[in-house]
Amino acid sequence: MSETTGVRLRAPRHRISRKAIPYWTVRALPGWVVLLAIEIAVKVLPDDPPGTWLVAVIVATAVLALVHLAVMPSWRYRVHRWEVTPTAVYTQSGWFDQEWRVAPLSRIQTVDTERGPWEQLFGLAKVTVTTASAAGPLHIHGLDLDVARQLVDDLTAATEASEGDAT
Amino acid sequence: MTELDVAAAPPLNEPPEWLRLNGKMVIISPLKEVVRAAVPLVAVFVAGISTHNWWQWLSLVGVVLLIARGVTHWATARYRITDEQVELRSGLFNRKTRAVPRDRIRTVDITSEWQHRLAGLSALKIGTGRQDKGKDDELILDAITKAEAERLRTLLLTKAVPAPAEQSVVDGQPPEAELVRVDRRWTWYAPFTLSGIAVVAAAFGAVWHFANDLHIRPDDFEIIRAALGVVGTESPWLLIPAAAVALLVVATIASVLGYILSYWNFSVTREQSGTLHIRHGLLNTRSVSIEEARLRGVEVKETLPLRLVRGGRATAVVSGLRTGRGDERGGGLLLPAAPVAQAHLVAAKVLREPTDPTTAALTPHPAAALRRRITRAVAAVLALALVAWIGYQLDILPFWVWIVFLVLTPFSAWLGYDRYRSLGHTLANGYLVSRSGSLVRETVALRSDGVIGWRVHASYFQRRSGLVTLVATTAAGRGGYHVTDAGASHALAFADEVVPDLVAQFLEPAT
Repeated sequence: MSETTGVRLRAPRHRISRKAIPYWTVRALPGWVVLLAIEIAVKVLPDDPPGTWLVAVIVATAVLALVHLAVMPSWRYRVHRWEVTPTAVYTQSGWFDQEWRVAPLSRIQTVDTERGPWEQLFGLAKVTVTTASAAGPLHIHGLDLDVARQLVDDLTAATEASEGDAT
Repeated sequence: MTELDVAAAPPLNEPPEWLRLNGKMVIISPLKEVVRAAVPLVAVFVAGISTHNWWQWLSLVGVVLLIARGVTHWATARYRITDEQVELRSGLFNRKTRAVPRDRIRTVDITSEWQHRLAGLSALKIGTGRQDKGKDDELILDAITKAEAERLRTLLLTKAVPAPAEQSVVDGQPPEAELVRVDRRWTWYAPFTLSGIAVVAAAFGAVWHFANDLHIRPDDFEIIRAALGVVGTESPWLLIPAAAVALLVVATIASVLGYILSYWNFSVTREQSGTLHIRHGLLNTRSVSIEEARLRGVEVKETLPLRLVRGGRATAVVSGLRTGRGDERGGGLLLPAAPVAQAHLVAAKVLREPTDPTTAALTPHPAAALRRRITRAVAAVLALALVAWIGYQLDILPFWVWIVFLVLTPFSAWLGYDRYRSLGHTLANGYLVSRSGSLVRETVALRSDGVIGWRVHASYFQRRSGLVTLVATTAAGRGGYHVTDAGASHALAFADEVVPDLVAQFLEPAT
C-alpha cells in the first residue's frame, strides 16, 4: 500500500561493523536466559507446580527467543547505517520500528564515543552526537573503533568550523 | 562544567563582595523541610511508639538532620554577581561552587512559598539553555529578600547597571505592557480541566499510605464500615454512577480551589527590554521571567472537557525552560484554563504576530491514519474486555467488568475518529504548526528557525501503510514536536519546506 509517487529517504551511505551481529546476539541472550530460568524454576521448584499452561508458556518463550536471536541481529545490521555530509549527520537505525535522524552540523553541541564492557570485547564503539534538543541525540551503534575515532575527529573539526551557539 | 573547585578558582579583577542569603532562612528552611517531611516523620514516630521499637527515635534524628542541613546551607552559602558570571558557593563538608555565565542566562524564576512569604523572602532560580543536564544546570538562591530578587531579576535579564537593593523597588521598575490578566470569572473553566481528579487521587494515596503505616484499617471507623456495608449490598449498576458522581463533586471542588490557589492574579506582561514576565499565585507566588529572544513558539492545549465549553490553555515554547516536570510545571504557562479565544489572543500577542499561528488551516493526514487510529482505539478496548472476560472465567473479576469494556467500544471508536480529526500540520508565516490528540488536543506552533534537526519514525505497521511520524527537534519546550502519521512522501517534502537544504540531500524519488 506504500505510496508510489513523491520522495523517500535514501539509505545513508555507510554500514556499521559486521561484528555488531554477534555483539547484539550476545547482548540479547542474558535477558531470555533469565526469563526462561525463572519460568522453569516456577515449574520445577514448588511442591504443587502450576499446570500444563506453564509448559506452553515456556515453549512459547523458547520459540520467541530463538526467532528473536536468529532474526534480530542481522535485520538490525541491515538497517543500521550512517553518513556525514558537509552540512549534516544522517543516521538510520532500528529493525521492527525504524528511525532516521538528521542533524545539521551547525547545531551539533558534543560528539562522544562510548564503549561498554561488551563493546570493548567485540572491538566496537558507539558514537553519540548531541544537539541542544533533549529529543535530538543521534546514536551510531556498532562502529569499528578506528572508524569511530576517525568519525569523532572529523565531526569535531567540522563543528568547530561552524558558527553560532547551536540552539 | 559549572562546578569548579573553590581553591582552583582564581580571583577576578576587583571582584564584588560575596553576599549571604537572608538570615531568616535559619527559621524558614527547617520549617519548610519539616512540614514537607511531616507525614513520614510522624508515621515513623507513632508506629515506633506503638511497637516499642528503638527506631521511633529515627524520626527525631531526621528532624535534627533536616534542621542542620538548612542551617549549614545558610551559614556556608555565599553568592556574588560579577561582570561575567553568577557564582554560588556552599557546603560544609562537600564544598562546591557553581558558576553560571551571565550571557547564558535565559530565564529567572522567582517563587515564594507561603513559608517564604511569612518573612518577605523569595527563592530565585536561574535557568540556562541546556536541556539535557536537568537540575544540575540550575543555580538557586534560597532565600533572598523580595527587593533583592527584583533587583537581580532586572540585573540578570537586562544586563543594565545594578541599582542598590533599597532603591530598585521605588524607581527601578521598568515600564511594562500587560498582555493578559486572568479574569476571575474564568475560574468557571477550572472544573473542566480535571486537574481535581489528580489532586483527589494524590490525597487519597497519601491518606491510604499514612493509614497503612500506622496500621489503621478502614474497618476501625464506623462510618467507613457502614459505607463498605452499603457497597457490599447494593448492585454495581447503582454503585458505579453514585461513586462517579461523588468523585466528580469532590474533583470539581478540588480543581476550583487549585485554580484559585495557583492562578490568582495571573498576568503576563512584557517589559520594554523585551522580557516576558509571568506572575501568579495566592499562597505560593511565582514570577517567571523569560528572555524574549529565547521564545520559539507557543502551544495551545484543549482537553476534551475544555473543548466542550470552548476553553483552552496556552503555553510558551521557550529554550531553557523545561515543561511538565515537577516544580517546572507551568513555568512557561501563558494562560491557564480560559476561553480558547483568549488563549489564541495571548499567544498572538506574545509572538508579536497579528494572528496566532496555531489557528492556521491545517493539512489533514491520509486515510490510512484514520484506519490506524480506529484500529488501535478499538483493539485496545477489546483486548481489555478479553482480559476481563478471562478474569471472570477464573473468578478473579465480577461479571460486569468485561461488559463495561464492551459498552465502551463505540465511545473508543469515536475517540479514534476524533484523534484522526485532530491530526494536521502546515507551515504558516514561518511557523511549523502541528496538532494531535483527542483527550488532550495539543496544537503547537514552532518557529522554523528553532528546528535544529529531524527524526523520522516508522513502525512496521506505519511502513506498511505508507505513514511516518515526523519529529521536529528543538532546544525549547519538550525538545521534540511530532507530526503524527503523515504520508511518508508528504512529510519529507514538508520537512524540506520548513528547513530548506537539510533533508533534500538525503531524498530520492520513490519508485
